[in-house]
Amino acid sequence: MSPDRMKAGWLPENVYAVVLPSLAAIMVVGGWQYAVTSFQISPVIFPAPLDMAMAAPGIIGDLFHHAGITGGEALLAFVLSCLIGVALALMLTVSDAVFEAFYPNLVVFQIVPKIALAPMFTFWLGIASTSRISYAILISFFPVMLSTMSGLKRADANTLRLCRSVGASKWQTLLHVQIPYALPYFFSGAKVAATMATIGVVTGELISANAGLGFYIIRAQSLGQTPKVFCAIVALCVLGLLVYILPVRAEAMARRWWRGGNG
Amino acid sequence: MSGFISVDTVRKIYRTRKDTIEAVSGASFNVEQGEFVSILGPSGCGKSTLLMMCAGLEGLTSGHINVAGTKVEGPRQSVGIMFQDNTLLPWKTVLENILFPVRIQKKPMEHYRARAEELIEMVGLRGFADKKPHQLSGGMKQRVSICRALVTDPDILLMDEPFSALDAMTRDEMNDALLDISDRYKKTSLFVTHSIREAVYLSDRVLVMTRRPATVVADIRIPFQRPRGRDVGDTAKFNEICAHLRGLIEHERTPGWTGQMARAG
Ligand SMILES: Nc1ncnc2c1ncn2[C@@H]1O[C@H](COP(=O)(O)OP(=O)(O)O)[C@@H](O)[C@H]1O
Ligand SMILES: [Mg+2]
Repeated sequence: MSPDRMKAGWLPENVYAVVLPSLAAIMVVGGWQYAVTSFQISPVIFPAPLDMAMAAPGIIGDLFHHAGITGGEALLAFVLSCLIGVALALMLTVSDAVFEAFYPNLVVFQIVPKIALAPMFTFWLGIASTSRISYAILISFFPVMLSTMSGLKRADANTLRLCRSVGASKWQTLLHVQIPYALPYFFSGAKVAATMATIGVVTGELISANAGLGFYIIRAQSLGQTPKVFCAIVALCVLGLLVYILPVRAEAMARRWWRGGNG
Repeated sequence: MSGFISVDTVRKIYRTRKDTIEAVSGASFNVEQGEFVSILGPSGCGKSTLLMMCAGLEGLTSGHINVAGTKVEGPRQSVGIMFQDNTLLPWKTVLENILFPVRIQKKPMEHYRARAEELIEMVGLRGFADKKPHQLSGGMKQRVSICRALVTDPDILLMDEPFSALDAMTRDEMNDALLDISDRYKKTSLFVTHSIREAVYLSDRVLVMTRRPATVVADIRIPFQRPRGRDVGDTAKFNEICAHLRGLIEHERTPGWTGQMARAG
């Protein structure tokens, strides 16, 4: 919009945006290192950043291997929960009968503490990745469904009147008006789902798996290799971020389409 | 019982879970072909309801509405509609928004694109065809809405307070634009407004409605020749008509005791 202001503010604003958070992070990490060293806490109980840094080079290959497995499962779970969430949202929006029948039940279902169901998935579906992916979908489709539904209702009464008046069918209205309106809402749900999908897969791995970062964490912990546990947690953060970037990028693309290139 | 739009003892009762609201009670009037008629009346008296019934978007409890000789029983496609909010689709360009009815009705796009471009020119939006709504001012958005209402060349134009959300100066400009459009396309038009001056300036006739349940209490013919210019608004005759209408409306706003008792009961 205003290239002048952006150009003038580019340098200082970006320096602030990078320098300040970095400084804060360095202070926290430094304080952590200092506290662990000065209280002489054993690295088995609570490793310091330097303990982690020393453990990292030897396990980097392992971490990549396990992160790949967790990441693949999380990605698949994320994509499937988006598809399921959107399909349910469309069904609940298009048919009043479906809405009346299922919506209250879905809300009640959402109250169930689903973490408690995680061990059951291993029991039902075994140690294979199907078990973890199913569980991850279970905990991540709901935000997609809910936000897409509210997006599909975003077209106001007069816009819907206009559609009816020009003779639009229910499907045309859905396709040309309601779905585009729902897009930004879908993405906000998808961002939540991306986080939940990763959490779901790792939860499954913590319970039972023979690969993946969750599995790696449990194994390292049982061997008393706490610095490795912490390295795996850092790897999990990075992985979570990578999965999260997917809907963020897709959203940016959709926003460009919404608002036009030169806006 | 003639007239291009003929509204005959129309009654509308909304039934909600809590209560029943009689929005329109025995309204009758005719609009001749090519005539521009405004409806004035207090808020909530049933003006929008009446307009939606003419478009076939709202059912009648009793009575009849005929447009172009046929009874209105469902959404009739040959209607151009404008609302107070512009109802443009934010992801579509100006041209795409205008062509939205064409797209939905699967009419030949090429033919209508030429018409859309002509309309864009007509309302003074040349060079804005590829802009998106967020890049336009409120007045420009309503100009786009007018184009969209006219693109399929409907036989009637229904406008529900289309300029109420605009500032006074933009509103004056929009009134002039609408005058030009109605002189050029001569659409049979129903125009709901709260502004007496706007109604008088634009219309061939002004109808005054009562508070709910609405009926038509006055039907005033506006004698000014077309094409009209802004100077019409300065004439004594114009102000006289406005004062007369204001009197009618104020009379409606202060019902006597009997009216209030009847409503309370
Ligand atoms: N869909 C509806 N259901 C119930 N009541 C309605 C509905 N639409 C309008 N009404 C009521 O009918 C009355 C007339 O509304 P409306 O036609 O919008 O009035 P106006 O346009 O003159 O302000 C109002 O009291 C309003 O609350
Ligand atoms: Mg209204």
